[in-house]
Amino acid sequence: MWYKKQAELLREELETLLKLLVDTAGLYELTRKALTGAGRGIFADKPDSLPWPLLPLMVCETVSGRFEPALPAAASIQLLKTAAEVFDDVEDADSPESLSSRYGPALAVNAATTLLILSEKVLAGLKARGVEDSIIVRIMESISSYYTTACAGQHLDISHTGDLAVTEELYMKIISLKSATTAECACYTGALLGQAGPDSLDKFARFGHNLGMMSQIVNDIQGVTGGKDIIRRKITLPVIYALSQTRGETYRRLERAFSQETETAIQPGQIKDLLFQCGAVHYSVLRMELYKQRAAGILAEMEAGFDTGQLKQFLE
Amino acid sequence: MKSQALQELVSRIFKDEDSRAQFISDPDSVMSQFSLTEQERAAVLTTHSRLGVVNSGSPQLAAAIGPMASWF
Repeated sequence: MWYKKQAELLREELETLLKLLVDTAGLYELTRKALTGAGRGIFADKPDSLPWPLLPLMVCETVSGRFEPALPAAASIQLLKTAAEVFDDVEDADSPESLSSRYGPALAVNAATTLLILSEKVLAGLKARGVEDSIIVRIMESISSYYTTACAGQHLDISHTGDLAVTEELYMKIISLKSATTAECACYTGALLGQAGPDSLDKFARFGHNLGMMSQIVNDIQGVTGGKDIIRRKITLPVIYALSQTRGETYRRLERAFSQETETAIQPGQIKDLLFQCGAVHYSVLRMELYKQRAAGILAEMEAGFDTGQLKQFLE
Repeated sequence: MKSQALQELVSRIFKDEDSRAQFISDPDSVMSQFSLTEQERAAVLTTHSRLGVVNSGSPQLAAAIGPMASWF
């Protein structure tokens, strides 16, 4: 497949960077563990998963015909994203598989801090890839701006953890800031490194944003259909819809299931059934489809100037 | 941004078996009763053709959303 070579090069970029830590007992292993797993850029993803870490490379190649200039930026974004996820696991304290649960929050926070610093260091490699200084500065500025926005989203998310009264408007704002910006950042960065013009930069950014919104809602749907978010009492789009649309005993059961203050044992299968039966999953699928169509529409707008075939796989 | 019309449509579809059957047999007729945008109508029809009414888990639902969530 197209991206095996690109995935290998991204892995090499990250492995080269991590070698700086080899002499630091334990830190090398921890940061490498953090980067392990589907979508995190170090080990091979499952054959049927989408090559999300390669998104900046794919956009860069779509614009300019070359992906190599985007390698350091793709590595930087993977490092930042992974750091954010490690911090998120420390904040949520609800995942037994997380670095924090396995090694303690102190070591996890230090590993995430290391990843943050490496995410900046790796951008120095842009110059060796022939990227002009002015573009490097723009890349650094845009990545840091996007992830500052993601932190704002995370702040809102944490502030409303367990809030049964959270509205759909607020929730969509949270995932726009926290989640969609990271996909937008990947696309915008790739386009900038491909030397896209202002109009195209805007289109790729909007494509990335809609792609990110779509992906987060899909994640929400899977969270209830698989049961994971029900067990964790996580309030996501399907739950927000259900709480707004149900009444009587159905509402009370949902309220008990997702309240942080109750110790009532949850029956995930029954709650999942309720969410299906009240239309919450169907509504979430429709919302996902809306963002998917918007993303597809933006790609269609660009077809006259770019071959967007590779990017369409994220929508198929 | 919340879509009031979309919420009302889904609420109607899932109100009872008769409403669901009516939507399945004639989605355009049911949709015409709500102030949906063109994009929302397209999303409803696309979902209807691919998945029908999503009232339970299914291989089709899993296939429709499976690979797309791995970014997060």
